[in-house]
Amino acid sequence: MAGSFKRIGNDRVRVRLANDEVAVLRGLPDQLRTVLGEGEDEPVNRRLFPPAYLDVADIEHDAEFQRLMHDDLVSEKLTNLDLVTDSLARGTSSVRRWTVELTDEEATAWLGVLNDLRLALGVRLDITEDFDGDVDDTDPRAPALRLLSYLGWLEEQLLEALQS
Amino acid sequence: MSRMSTTAPTRERTERPDDVAEPDIPWVVIVWNDPVNLMSYVVFVLQKLFGYDREKATRLMLDVHHKGKAVVSSGPREKAEFDVYRLHGHGLWATMQKDR
Repeated sequence: MAGSFKRIGNDRVRVRLANDEVAVLRGLPDQLRTVLGEGEDEPVNRRLFPPAYLDVADIEHDAEFQRLMHDDLVSEKLTNLDLVTDSLARGTSSVRRWTVELTDEEATAWLGVLNDLRLALGVRLDITEDFDGDVDDTDPRAPALRLLSYLGWLEEQLLEALQS
Repeated sequence: MSRMSTTAPTRERTERPDDVAEPDIPWVVIVWNDPVNLMSYVVFVLQKLFGYDREKATRLMLDVHHKGKAVVSSGPREKAEFDVYRLHGHGLWATMQKDR
């Protein structure tokens, strides 16, 4: 199979996906936006914004860290989501394939969003052991596990393209 | 020796150092193992954020993977906080603590 991501020149990454892959991806940013808008007790947000200080003696430092840093971390993630949503809307489809060229900034946003989506799925699926990508069809979580596996496959390819 | 004289020094040792002494104590930034983050992604982030070469970033990633955690940077509290902030921004599970 042809690679999903390819470095074009110094500062562009070309994305080529099947039309049904793009359809799946287009549905994901809004789901993450919704989760980010929920409170700090939402388990996905606990994973995306963990404590900086573990020692109970540093609890005041941690409260200060969260107060100063949390909103910036959320807005970085929302900016990444906007860049991904825009590029998913901008791409062009032929009969079989969808294509878009990303700037470096957009490619970095894609990497961040792919990773955040996988972390969120990992929390939802309660993944506690290393996940090797193999999915048992009889597992009720199989569709979500396959999505996790697919997003990981995309992320690996994007990492390779960014480092080529 | 009386009971009083043995408990008092113990209590003294467990007291936290005051703020004046704090700058002398370096802080370490720890990345913890995570079952979802890709190994290649962790290496990429450590190279990007800290300028480590691929070999050092890979060694740290393998420590995280096999030992459960690794110290990825150290320094004054403000620097450690900035590093934790950037690691959180990239989805790595990072914390900081005094190096002692």
